[in-house]
Order: sequence, then C-alpha cells, then structure tokens
Amino acid sequence: MTRRPLIHKSPMPGLGLSMGITLTMLSLVVLLPIGALLWKGATFGLSGIWETVNRERVWAALFLSFRLSLIAALFNLVFGLLLAWVLVRYRFPGRRILDAAVDLPFALPTAVAGIALTTIYAPNGMFGALAKEIGWKIAYTQSGIFLALVFVGLPFVTRTVQPVIEEIDREVEEASATLGASRVHTLRHVILPMLAPAALTGFALSLARAVGEYGSVIFIAGNIPLVTEIAPLLIVIQLEEFNYDAAAAIGISMLLISFAMLLLINLIQVWSRRRIGYV
Amino acid sequence: MHIEIDEISKAFGPTAALTPVSLAIPSGALVALLGPSGSGKTTLLRILGGLEFPTSGRILFDGADATGLAVQDRRAGFVFQSYALFRHMTVFDNIAYGLKTRPRATRPPRAEIARRVTKLLDLIQLPDIGARYPSQLSGGQRQRVALARALAIEPRMLLLDEPFGALDAKVRKDLRQGLRDIHDETGLTTVFVTHDQEEAMELADLVVVMSGSRSGGRIEQIGKPADIRARPATPFVRDFISA
Amino acid sequence: MSDIRFAAATEEPAAVRRLLIGLAVAGLATLVAAPLLVVFAEALAQGWLAAVTALGNRDAQSAIRLTLLIAGISVPLNAAFGIAAAWFITKFDFRGKAVLITLIDLPFSVSPVVAGLCIVLMFGTNSLVGGWLVASGHPIVFALPGIVLATMFVTFPFVARELIPVMIEQGRAEEEAALTLGASGWRTFRTVTLPNIRWALLYGVLLCNARAMGEFGAVAVVSGKIRGQTATMPITIEMLYNEYLSVAAFSLAAVLTLLALVTLLLKTALEIRHADQLSATHRH
Repeated sequence: MTRRPLIHKSPMPGLGLSMGITLTMLSLVVLLPIGALLWKGATFGLSGIWETVNRERVWAALFLSFRLSLIAALFNLVFGLLLAWVLVRYRFPGRRILDAAVDLPFALPTAVAGIALTTIYAPNGMFGALAKEIGWKIAYTQSGIFLALVFVGLPFVTRTVQPVIEEIDREVEEASATLGASRVHTLRHVILPMLAPAALTGFALSLARAVGEYGSVIFIAGNIPLVTEIAPLLIVIQLEEFNYDAAAAIGISMLLISFAMLLLINLIQVWSRRRIGYV
Repeated sequence: MHIEIDEISKAFGPTAALTPVSLAIPSGALVALLGPSGSGKTTLLRILGGLEFPTSGRILFDGADATGLAVQDRRAGFVFQSYALFRHMTVFDNIAYGLKTRPRATRPPRAEIARRVTKLLDLIQLPDIGARYPSQLSGGQRQRVALARALAIEPRMLLLDEPFGALDAKVRKDLRQGLRDIHDETGLTTVFVTHDQEEAMELADLVVVMSGSRSGGRIEQIGKPADIRARPATPFVRDFISA
Repeated sequence: MSDIRFAAATEEPAAVRRLLIGLAVAGLATLVAAPLLVVFAEALAQGWLAAVTALGNRDAQSAIRLTLLIAGISVPLNAAFGIAAAWFITKFDFRGKAVLITLIDLPFSVSPVVAGLCIVLMFGTNSLVGGWLVASGHPIVFALPGIVLATMFVTFPFVARELIPVMIEQGRAEEEAALTLGASGWRTFRTVTLPNIRWALLYGVLLCNARAMGEFGAVAVVSGKIRGQTATMPITIEMLYNEYLSVAAFSLAAVLTLLALVTLLLKTALEIRHADQLSATHRH
C-alpha cells in the first residue's frame, strides 16, 4: 500500500504562490506570536504558571470571567433560539430590520458598545434609573458585566441555528402531528434535537467570545479587584506594570481555556456529523 | 373505516385548489387518487389526514363528522412523499414515536412498545435494522420504515402521498406488492396519491381520476381499473390513461 | 357554507406567536437599539456644533487618520491572504487541510487582549527580535506596525472564512474549462474565479473592515496609547470617556456607529441581492 501523497498532483495553477502566501502570513501574524506566548510559558514551566495563577486575585478574575461568560452564553442560547425561530418562521412587519439588528454586536466596536451600555445602565441612565427604583444596581456590578457579555455574544446562536431551521422539512413536523404528537411535544422531541448541534456550536462560540471579551466590559464593570475584575483586564494591568511574566502566565491559562472550547466545538460537529449526517 | 367526502372545496387565498368534490370510500378499500400535478389530489389527501382544512364541505368517518377533528386525534397513518423520518432517531425510535407520545394513561408499557415495534419490523420484512439511523438506509428501506411508523399508532386508515415517487423502477415493483400485502393483512382503508396511471391501475381496487384547472381540481371519474380502461367517462380520462 | 378555519398542524397558536415576537422585539430593543440611540443622543447632547467641534479637535483628527491608515493597510493584506488561502484550500488536495483551516480560524477563539500580549512578547523590547528591531530604529510595539499586526491578528479569518465555503460549492470545473481553453493561471483567476467570488469577497472585506476600525482590546495592549501618535479612534474614545469628555467621546463613537450601520446596510443588501453567491449560511 502506498502512502497518500502530501499534496496530490493537480492541473490547477498557483500552488506555490497560494501556499507560500498562506503559510507565510499565517506564521507571521498568528503562529509566531502565539508561539512566543507559549515559549514564554515553557521557560517558566507549569509550576511557574501555577505560582502566578494561584493567587487570590488571579483566581477570582478567572473564575469571574468564566462564570459570568457561562451564564451569559446560557442566556444567549435560549434567547438566540427564540430569535432564530421568530425570524425564520414568522412573518411580521419589521422582520428584516430585526434580522439585521441581530448582527449589530458584530459590527459595533466594543469600546462604543461599552460606553453606550454603561451610560444606559448607570444609576443615572435611562434603564439604570428604572432599575435603581427597585434597588437593583446594574452598571459597576456583576450584573453589568453579564449584560455586556450577553451583548457581545448575542448573534452567535441565532446565526448558527437560523440556516438549520430553514432546512427543516415541514413534512417532518407534519409526520409528528399525524402520529398524535401535540405541538409542544413536536417542538421538544423533533425540532429541538435537530437544532441541538448548531445551538451547541453557537453556545460554545458565544462562550469563547465572552471569556476573552475586554472592550465592552471594562467600562461597565467597575473593575474592583476580587469583585468585578475580569481576567483580560488583569493581563492589561500586569502589562502596564511591565510585569510580562505574570501577564504571560494568565494569558496562557486563558489560551488553554480557548483551546479547550475550540476542541469542544469541533467534537460537537464531528459527533453530529457521524450521528445524523449533518452539522 | 368508511370515509365520506361531502362537497369538499379548498382555496389557498385567491387560488382554488379543489372545486367541491364528493367521494365515498368503502371500508377496507384500496383507493388511488390519480391525476397530473395541480389536480388537487395531494390537497384532498392532506384534508383527509387533517393537515389541511377544507374551505367548505364535510368529511364523515363512519358517519361521524370529522371535518374539524385535529390532526393528532384523527389516527390517520400518513406516509409522506419524502418519508419525513426523524433523522436524529433510530429506526426503532421512529416507529415507537407515536406510541411514546401518547399521554401516560393510554401509553403502552415499555415492553409492549418494544414488542409492537419488533412485530412491525417483521411485517415490513426488515427485522434487523432497528438500531440504525435513517441516513444508513436505502430509499426502499426508508419507505418501508415510514409505513411501519404510520402503522404503529393502530391507525383507522392509511394515507400515502406518492409512496413510490422517489424510488427506481425495480424497487417500485417490489414495494407495490408489499403495500398490497400489508393492506390485505391489516384490512385498513387505504388511500394513495399517484400520477402514474399504471401504478394506480395495477394496485388499487378503486381509482379516482382527477384533473386540474383554473377553478381548482375536480374528479373526472371514479371506478374499478378495468371499467375506467374500458369506458373512460371523459376525453381527459381517455387521454390521461392512454398517455 | 361558512368558511371553516382551524389551526394548521405546523404552527404555534397565534397568541404564542405574538408573545414570542414580542419577546424578540423587546430583547433586541433593550440590548441593541437602546445603546445605538444613546450614542447619538449623547453625541448631540450639546448640539451639533459641539459634536462637530469635538471631531475637529487635533487629537480626534489624528485618531481618525490613524484608524483609516491601519484599516487601509491591514484590510487589503488580509483580503490578499484570504484569497490565497481559499485558493490553496479549495483548489488543491493535501494532507492536514483540516488542521490548516482550524489554525486560520484560531484568532476567533483567542481573546483580543491575549492576541495583543502575544505580539508584545514576540516584538517587545524584552524579546530577542524586538530588542534588535528597537536598536535598529524600527520599533514594532507602541508603534504603527504593532497596531497593524494586532489588527490583522484579530481580523485574520474574516475573508478566508467567507470565500472557502463559496469556492467549495462552486467546484473546480469552470477553472478547469478555462485552462483547457488555453488560459494562463493568472488569466483564469482574473476572468473566471474572481467574478464568481466577488460578492463573497466584498462581504468578507466589509466585516473585516468594520472589525479592523473598531478593534479595541488587542490595540489597547500594543499601542501604548500615545495621544496624537498611536491612539486609534476606539483608544481615543476610551481616553476621552475616562476624562469625562462625554460629548467628545460619543461624537467619535457616533462616527464608528455610523460606520457599523453602513456595514450592516451593505451586508443586508448583499444578502438580498446576491444571496446565491454568498456562503449558504448568509442566505435568508
């Protein structure tokens, strides 16, 4: 048996050029810088990283980032499914505008979103004042961080689920009804399982985005150590104090979390493709 | 079950799909709704199944008015043109779906469900595929699973929309005989839609020839295959069956 | 006989539909529409004149110029990369293709701050490369090249990601036909491939540009925030906001918001007009 060749022979032109540009730029812009971070981590080893991370303030920041990101991503999972369903299945005036509005968090710079959300949800802001009436402080608390993370992660679930809903064969829903299933039963046992892989992918993307988010959060967070200080901010603080080793250690922990989530997304897709033949 | 279609018409907005049609289907008959596309045959089948509701007219099942009966309560075994199998469920779970979905009071116990699914798999002569997913089946196997799934709810009638439409000629012939056998074994009143006159003539006891026009689909002739062949009632029927 | 109406088998009851639409509208209104309105309201809080004056300020002007310059460099470079990568991935069969695609997508799952950190560690004065570059008078970090690099990192996958699915769907037959007719490789690309992918390319460039002009986290880390020199528009917005210069901060923010709205408008227009030439996930 012969080994599969590294690159199959092809009559297509431009192999050298396209491969050259791709690999050079990928290395220069992405791989070498990430390699520099990993190299830095390797020089002080796992125990060195552990020493930096194993401090109350760092743990608090990592835990806060992850916990609030998880809650925000869960909220976006539910709300994103609802939005996708409404946008695909229902016809109503303003649907196109609503559809376009879903993408705004992708298009709006995070710093702009940050100061806008802070202004609205600060105690003297439009919604902040209302919340204050019932004794709920949003900006400069964990509620504010949650809100900013919901904002940046909003489009992911909707955008991954929408095409799947469009593809659903109406006859499948009808089949469920002719077999005696109520609408709720059909939604729960037929539709939801079909959407699950896409929804999980969107959830993981939304989570990954939230864990690393910086711009939209720092304005509304209040940034009090141990209470409302997120992990990315801690990196920036270490860098401003020229404390490169500590910054690198926290950065590597975050990178590992990102890689774990990337792996999770890929596993979800492989699993769903194996099982039901689509993503 | 005896089915009585009484002056049923259907319009989708401004578009007429069916002009008032009437038809009596005797209990236990195997009936073909035969016609070109646009003749309203699928609409009529979907009205029987409760997937569409008529604009006017009545449907009687064994003499009782069933016009507004919800699809879930009709107990009409419906086989879709695309089969509409649930692709995230195994063949076993597909067939068991209708039984598992029943409210607790009328749901058979787990062992009973398993027994019935096994029996249905035997009936469609695919006893070993329970653990597979629909994507792992051939077209003909999918069609038979869809049939078994429809039979699992112990339907009062069997409705099939172009049941052989998506299959190649050889498989078609085999499955035709399969449907005939299952019909004869269960004695269910069975209605199927087809545009293939050979299929209708060969399989059905009673053929309903339909035609379409601007004012909606209508029935041209109802009769036994031999009678329709020997004495076409209208020029449309003569052209259609000789085509 | 009266017209009989019943609930269709595959629809939710009208009341449920209205409730869900209401929830969707209310959610997007508080989360998305309100921030949008507040940006313009705050920018114009002291009238048009104050807003325009704030934009005419020297620091604001230099921030706008810098942001345009950075987008002007990084977007075309990333577009070139995207085309090359999509060509390499879709026109050739090789081992490790899935790994390559994952690596290209990597920046989407790395925090912008970590991206900035990586560049600082690679090219900062403390590093081998960085020390040499600074000594020879070409600093990267706290200077334009670093900001460009950070921007390119965070926007790296945009164009490639848009082109790859479209080019997979279009297959290789048209290019093969052109080659058999005697066209050169370059000519085949220009006259056959490019016309087929131009709308997807534009779509990717639009998104890439919006992100490039708005990037904050990665740039905040590498820029050093030197007023008038390395402060981009988002960085300047932060500085003005922290100095309680609300009108000035929101005026600049309003400019970026308008850019975001134009991006969305063009994007939606592309989705309606050229749906068949975009990747399948953007068709609706």
